[in-house]
Order: sequence, then C-alpha cells, then structure tokens
Amino acid sequence: MKITVRLYGRYKDIAGTDTVHLDIKKGDTLRDLVNAFVKRFPETEKDKNKIMVAKNKIFTGYETLVSEGDDITLTPPVVSGG
Amino acid sequence: MINERYRRQMLVSELGERGQDVLAGKHVLIIGGGGLGSHSASILVRMGVGRVDIIDDDVVELTNLHRTSIFSEEDVGRTKAYVLENYLKKINANVSVKGIHQQVTKDTIISLLNHVDLIVDGTDSLPLRYLINDAAVKLTVPWVYAGVQGTMGMVMGILPQKTPCLQCISQTIPEAGTSETPVLGNLPALIAAIQCTEALKLLLGQRPAGLILYDIWKQHFDILMVKKNPSCPCCKKHKFTYL
Repeated sequence: MKITVRLYGRYKDIAGTDTVHLDIKKGDTLRDLVNAFVKRFPETEKDKNKIMVAKNKIFTGYETLVSEGDDITLTPPVVSGG
Repeated sequence: MINERYRRQMLVSELGERGQDVLAGKHVLIIGGGGLGSHSASILVRMGVGRVDIIDDDVVELTNLHRTSIFSEEDVGRTKAYVLENYLKKINANVSVKGIHQQVTKDTIISLLNHVDLIVDGTDSLPLRYLINDAAVKLTVPWVYAGVQGTMGMVMGILPQKTPCLQCISQTIPEAGTSETPVLGNLPALIAAIQCTEALKLLLGQRPAGLILYDIWKQHFDILMVKKNPSCPCCKKHKFTYL
C-alpha cells in the first residue's frame, strides 16, 4: 500500500515537493518507512537514524506500526547549535 | 517616561498596555549567552521584561563574533555573563539584569529556576536541553527551545502539561558530533527573534505556535502542529532521566 508522507524543512527541497508517496507492506514500521525514504532520496542518508517522524501529529518511536491512512510527517533532526 | 519608552510597542494590539504591564512583572532566565542567548537577552530587555537573568560559564571567543551583534573584539577572553550584564544594563535601566557565571547542571538547575516565569534556551548542547526540559516539566515552568545549525533553525515553545515537551518530539539524543556545529552568522538573530515571540506569548498566557522550522537560505518557514506523545518518558511518565 502507499502512504502519503508530508515533508518539512530541507526534505522538501531534496524531494522537490512537500508530499511523497512511499510503498509499505502490512506490518511495516516507521523505521521501514524512513528506510524507504532514505533509499529514494540518498542525500538524506546522514540523517537516517535521527529523522523526526510524526504519525498523526505525534512524534513517536521508529518501531511504531504504520497503517493505511496514517498522517505521516518527516522532519530533519533537532538542531543543536546556539 | 516608561510609557514613552514602550509607546510604539503598546500600540501593537497583540500586546497593548496590559501586556506591557504583564511583561514588567515577569522574570526570565536565559540559559546560554552565545549567538541565540545574547540576541534573545537583548530583545527581551529592550521589550521590557521586568527581570532577565542570563547564565553562561564560558568566555567570549573570536569564533563567537560572527553570529552575535553584542560582543566585540575587545570582549574576547572576557566572561560572557558579565559582558552581557554590563551591555544589557545600558540598554534598559528599568529592567533588572543579572549575569551569572556558572555551569548549569542537574545539581544547580532546580535552585536556578526559583521564581522564574520562563526559561529561554540559548544553549548549544542537546543533553543540556534535555536537562532543562526535565526541570521545566517537573517544576511546570514554560520554556522555549531554539537551535541553529547551518542555515536551519528550530523553535518550540513548551507549556508543561499543556503542550508537547522536547522529549515528545525527540526521544533519543543524537550522538554528539566531534566537529563544530556550522552556523551562518545572521541565523541566530532571526531565530532568537522568533524564539522571543514565542516567549512573549507564553509570558502573556497564550499558547505557543508549535514546532517552527526556518531555513534562512531557502527562506522556507514551516510550522508543525504536534501533539503530546502519550508514551513520553518525561511529560507523561514523569521519569526525569536527565535531572
């Protein structure tokens, strides 16, 4: 099934759009979804384990299951400089 | 005299005379006096927050100067907290300003937050931000996270018990890099301005906007409306790991 993913920050520039559709299987987690995103956009590889993923507006763990109809957003990692 | 100073600001309907009076009674603690913290301190003192304390354990370095409009070459080697205190006192004598040359640790943070209405994040360290988050949630003190990196800034106002906390949005701290964080020089001023707007809203009893992202190179502005994480170890389970 296809999941619609909304992108924020530089991910919009990398993808050239603010929304992408990623293929997932039943039982896939947010980690699988992030992996699919990184595979499609290799420029995001350095963020792989730090991408902030929200499911239905809640930033949650990578092991959370994804289901059809979920509202998913991907955001670059928390920035730390001051 | 005081009314004359803030006359143009009080004409702003979002603030007004009532809001200006509210600000005059508030106490803000700024943790970190670098690019973000020094700009935020200047803004909040100019705008008339009643008491502003700024804490930093470092000295001004040459590498700080590109991203601050407060320090100058003659300040290099001087204690940031005291340089800022002197500078801020000259800006607005109606504001009580105190520079604190001290490290913020789990042993000191609780006492530092005594009678503080709001914390402004000017740190450059994620572990310290998680410590601030734990203390702020535990003591129900609002705070405004802000960070800068490269051309990207993030800001999120946090109203404990009401809005998501820092651990709600990022439960694992990315490993600290060994290299210095790149920061475009004009970015902290802009992000500090956004941060101070969120601070003002919290001080006036309003809700913050959400997670704000700004890329100063692309001129992209985004706001994510996020919800509290029901399994957040900090604000939901009250496990204050960093405290």
